[in-house]
Amino acid sequence: MSTVLYLIGEAFTNLRRNILVVTGAVLAVFVSLTLAFGALVFNELVRVNTLQWQEGEHIIIFLKDEGGPAAHRALLEEIQGFEEVRRAWYLDKAGAYREFQEMFSNQPALVETMTAAELPASIRVELDDISSYQEVQFRLVGHQLLRRLSVFSEGIERLLSLTQVLNSIGIGLVAVLGAAAVVLIANTIRMAIYARREEIAIMKLVGAGNWFIRVPFILEGATVGLLGGGLAVAAVYVSHQLLARVPTDILLRFQVQSDFLLQRGVLILTFGVIAGFLGSSLGLRRFLRV
Amino acid sequence: MIRLENVAKVYDGGIVAVREIDMDVRRGEFVFLVGPSGSGKSTLIRMCLREEKATKGKIWVAGKEITKMTSWRVPYLRRTVGTVFQDFKLLPNKTVAENVAFALKVTGRPRSVVRSQVPQVLELVGLSAKADRYPRQLSGGEQQRVSLARAFVNRPPILLADEPTGNLDPATSVGIMRLLDRINRTGTTVMMATHDHAIVDAMRRRVVQLERGRVVRDQAGSGYESSADLVDL
Repeated sequence: MSTVLYLIGEAFTNLRRNILVVTGAVLAVFVSLTLAFGALVFNELVRVNTLQWQEGEHIIIFLKDEGGPAAHRALLEEIQGFEEVRRAWYLDKAGAYREFQEMFSNQPALVETMTAAELPASIRVELDDISSYQEVQFRLVGHQLLRRLSVFSEGIERLLSLTQVLNSIGIGLVAVLGAAAVVLIANTIRMAIYARREEIAIMKLVGAGNWFIRVPFILEGATVGLLGGGLAVAAVYVSHQLLARVPTDILLRFQVQSDFLLQRGVLILTFGVIAGFLGSSLGLRRFLRV
Repeated sequence: MIRLENVAKVYDGGIVAVREIDMDVRRGEFVFLVGPSGSGKSTLIRMCLREEKATKGKIWVAGKEITKMTSWRVPYLRRTVGTVFQDFKLLPNKTVAENVAFALKVTGRPRSVVRSQVPQVLELVGLSAKADRYPRQLSGGEQQRVSLARAFVNRPPILLADEPTGNLDPATSVGIMRLLDRINRTGTTVMMATHDHAIVDAMRRRVVQLERGRVVRDQAGSGYESSADLVDL
C-alpha cells in the first residue's frame, strides 16, 4: 500500500516539477480531442437534421387556420389525388405540438412557452419522384389555405450525399486526431523521460523494477490525457450550449440529445486516459531496457 | 560470493575489454581491482551488476549465475548488491534522506522500516544533520557518503565500488575508505576498482591487477604495485 501511495506521490511531484511541459501536453491533447469530439457532435447534428427528410417527408405544407380541419381535410384529399404524390397525411395542431415537444425535449422552457394553438397544422407529402416537387409547388401556389411551403428535394439529395461525406470525414478526423493525441502524449512523456534518463539509469542501478519506474510516468500520461480530455469535453459542451441558443426554426436544429453528449463525453475522457497510458508506455520502452 | 569463470567481454566493433578472466571473491573479502585506464576494471564491475553482459564465460554473484539471467530478474540481483560510483549517481531531485530511502522503497519495504532505517544509516555516515539537503547542496565527499549510505541501507552481502574516491581529495578519500572498511567489517564483501595508489597501499588488502583485460596479478595483503611475493598466473 505504501508503495502505491509512494508511486502516486511521485507522479504528482513530477507533474508539478514539469509544469511547463505538462501544460503544453495538456493543451495539445485538448486541441486534438476538442476537434475529435467536435467532429462527433457535428456528425450527430447532420444526422439529426436530415433524419426526417430521409424518412420521406419531401414537402411540408403549412396551413392557415382559416376554414379549420374540415377545409384542411379537403385540401389533403385534393393533394392525395395528385399523380406525383405517393403519400400525403395531415398533422393537426395537436400533432404539431406533440412533434414540437419531441423535437425540443431538451428545452422545456421553450416547450412551455408554446401552445398547440400557436403552431400551424400541416400536410406532409412524400413524392414518387423527388424531382417532381415543382409540379406540386405549382399546383398549390396561391392556394388560400397555404401559409408556407417547404420543399427538400434537391437539398435532400445534396445533404444526404454531404452527410455521407461528412460522416467519412468526421470518422477520419476522429481517428487521425485520436492517433495524434496518442503521439503527442508519447512525445511529451518521451521528452520528460529523456530529460530524466540518467535518473532512470540510477533507479535501475539501485534495483528499481521496470514497473516501479514506469508507474509514475504512466500516471503522469494518464493525468495529462484526463486533463486534456476534460477540457475538450468542457469546451465542446459550452460551444454546444451556445450554439443551441441560436434561433432556429423547426427544420434546422443545432442541438443534440444530452445523452449523446454525456456518452461521447465519457468516451472522450476515457480515450484521453487511454491515450495517456499508451503514450507514456510507448515513450518509456527504450529507456527501460536492462 | 563473486565468481568469474573464463569471462570475456568484446564490445561492438571487436574491442576486447576483458579476456578469459577467472576469479573468486570469498564472503567478507575486500578486493581492490587496479590497473590503468582501459584495463577492464569498470567493465568487470558492470558485468557483475549485469549492466553489461559477458560475451563468454559465467559469472556468479551472491550464489546466482547472472550471465543468463532474464531481464526481469536483474532488479532483484541489484538489490543484493550495493553500488558506489565515482560520479555518486544520486537522484538530483531527492533529498539526502529520500535518496537513501529510495533503495528501500524499490524493494517494497514498509514506511515504518524506511523511517527507522534511514536515520540509522545517515548517522553511520555522519550526515544526520543534512538529511533534508539536496545533492547539489553537498560537497563531493558528502555526496559520496550519501551514495555509500544508499548502497548499505539494504544491508547487501556485496558492495561494488567503481573509483569511489576518483573525484575526491586525499583527506576526503580517507574518510570514504574508512566507511568502506567499516561496512566490510560487518561481513559485506567489497570489490573496489581504483587508481588510488595511496589508498591501496595503506589498506593492504587483496589486490587484483588488470592489464589489457587480463588478470596479471592477484595478491593478498598487497599494495598498488607488485611485490616480491607475486602470484604466478
